[in-house]
Amino acid sequence: MKVLELRNVNKIYNSSEVKVHAVNDVTLNFAEAEFAAIVGPSGSGKTTLLNLIGGLDMPTSGEIIISGTNLSGLKSSKLIDFRLRNIGFVFQSYNLIPVLTAKENVEFIMTLQKWPKKERDERTIELLRAVGLGDRIHSRPSKLSGGQQQRVAVARALASKPKFILADEPTANLDSKSATTLLEIMETLNHEEKITFIFSTHDARVVKMAHRIITLEDGKVISDDRRE
Amino acid sequence: MIWSIAWKNVWRNKKRSLVVIVAVTLGIISGVLLVGIMEGWVKQRLNDAIYNEISHIQIHNSEYIKNEEIDLTVKNPNEITRSIDTLKELSGWVKRTKIIAMANTPWANTGVIIYGVDPEKEKKVTELYKKIVKAGGKYLDVHSPGDLLISDKTAEILKLKQYIVTDSIIEELRQGKVPETVLAKLETLKDKRFRSPGDFREALRMKFSRKELDRFGVRITGKALDYRIRNKVMITLSDKEGNPIQGIFRVCGIYKTTNTGFDQVSVFVNAQELADLYGGNDILTHEIAILLKNIDDAGIVKEELSRIAGDNSVGTWKELAPDAAMMNDFMVLYYIIFVGIIMLALAFGIINTMMMAILERTKELGMLMALGMNRRRIFLMIMLETIFLTAVGAAAGMFSGWVLTEVLGRTGIHFTGWGEGFEAIGFAAKVYPVVTPEFLIFTTIMVIVTAIISSIWPARKALKLNPVETLRTE
Repeated sequence: MKVLELRNVNKIYNSSEVKVHAVNDVTLNFAEAEFAAIVGPSGSGKTTLLNLIGGLDMPTSGEIIISGTNLSGLKSSKLIDFRLRNIGFVFQSYNLIPVLTAKENVEFIMTLQKWPKKERDERTIELLRAVGLGDRIHSRPSKLSGGQQQRVAVARALASKPKFILADEPTANLDSKSATTLLEIMETLNHEEKITFIFSTHDARVVKMAHRIITLEDGKVISDDRRE
Repeated sequence: MIWSIAWKNVWRNKKRSLVVIVAVTLGIISGVLLVGIMEGWVKQRLNDAIYNEISHIQIHNSEYIKNEEIDLTVKNPNEITRSIDTLKELSGWVKRTKIIAMANTPWANTGVIIYGVDPEKEKKVTELYKKIVKAGGKYLDVHSPGDLLISDKTAEILKLKQYIVTDSIIEELRQGKVPETVLAKLETLKDKRFRSPGDFREALRMKFSRKELDRFGVRITGKALDYRIRNKVMITLSDKEGNPIQGIFRVCGIYKTTNTGFDQVSVFVNAQELADLYGGNDILTHEIAILLKNIDDAGIVKEELSRIAGDNSVGTWKELAPDAAMMNDFMVLYYIIFVGIIMLALAFGIINTMMMAILERTKELGMLMALGMNRRRIFLMIMLETIFLTAVGAAAGMFSGWVLTEVLGRTGIHFTGWGEGFEAIGFAAKVYPVVTPEFLIFTTIMVIVTAIISSIWPARKALKLNPVETLRTE
């Protein structure tokens, strides 16, 4: 089943000095439970593509369809709500809410979606245990290491059972041990929760673990390799 | 959760938040105290005007208001007072004779209004009998003929407020631990009589240093004060035919209110003795003063009395003391102006703090938008943060301001140095601040409104952030 479709997506930035074709006629499909990495040199359009897929930015032309819904057909307020319910984000610099504990950060998304408290608590504890932080649920981000914070971010991204998770350089700020642990957790969750993970990365470890590697150069898809 | 996040965000930068909270607290305290002082002054002025001077209602001959002549008396006063006695709102009433006269002593003279009153009935309407100064004799007594009650100010003008240093006074000061060096200087003034406060003060200034005067001047002046009780005062007035008539009275007591203007002109005698002086068989009634149980009944009672008053005019305290009435009515305007100015100043501080907070959290706000927090929630979060920040300071300020006002309301604030000036316009030199529940409610509302308005600009700034751009920032 297709979770995500990109059809002839283009993104052109028109500044006063120069026109930048950041994403150039990209057509891709993603199925359920895929573990895909988008790779390419700096400036190849990886982050721009992720922003388009995540509905943070709008394509200049083309369509982005998530589980049958065309993003360009959604008004701003509906788009925000759609993003809340269907897309999970893991950022390079964790971006946890510093005044909330690990538990509160994870249940934040579910609170916005008005989940009942009992279900919210159960799902939060389950996810934090799954990422190996069952004993740190009441710790604030300032009391967690970089790797632990990123694990909380992964748990948060998974909280509301989104269609897919976008991870933009999630291991960039981690040491190798933390990065490896994080990737193993994400791979396990990908397998157990059947949620698609789409990475934008330079990290060879991510590339090694990915089942599909999409290479971008100058905004174009130059290769799309799947591993058995 | 938005409420929880907003509350926690207030304490992210404790120092900065505390600076704003302290600023709000101090602003509110000063507002509460300032208004409390104003309210205290207005209440004091109103209270003194009613209980010392004008009462709640007065009845006069309609022509008397324009032209205070001796023959313009209240028409049918007994019929009117019989009706007054039936009022359920009544606390007390008194008839007064009121004549313009001249008061003379061997050393000075001054124009006065001489009131002929029934001392016992007068006590039910005014509190002048409570205003007798220390060592200032006693109030009028119907059994004590020839008594004249004058004010401290009148005594000063007539040179009946004198100063003399005696051996016993020096001994009292010695026992009060005044240094011998000071007493030695005071010895040189012994047994000299000074007929005015100014003369005595000047003599002290010539003898003592500034420091000695600051430390001991008030005590020495207080001990040396000698009111000339039982001194004769000649009163000259005109009878109904316009012929000048004179009578000798003796000072029985010295009173002092907070209104020097009233004090300066008002002297009191027994109504019958005044009638004997101008040769009337009946006591002339120029004024009927009425005190009610509740000030708010003045309007209703005036209407009732106007129906039976005939050609007489009935006036409430608002018409008789328009200055006090105006101040009372304008208190709401004072609230708005004072508190409004304070809120305006606070708003700028709050807006600045919140704008800094938004700037620091640009990336976080972008992340929240990316995760799916909609504009309404972002706006609510910023607004709640602003309200919480302001409310903490406001609560602390109002509680502290209320406590401070309550304490000062019991002890009073003495505006030494400005006392004479205040009393010249009817205000006490010592004010007892008072804060009403209405004012506290009003200030709470103003604080919330200020917080909400202050949150708009920072919140709009937050809403204009582009998640894509903000997530790129370091």
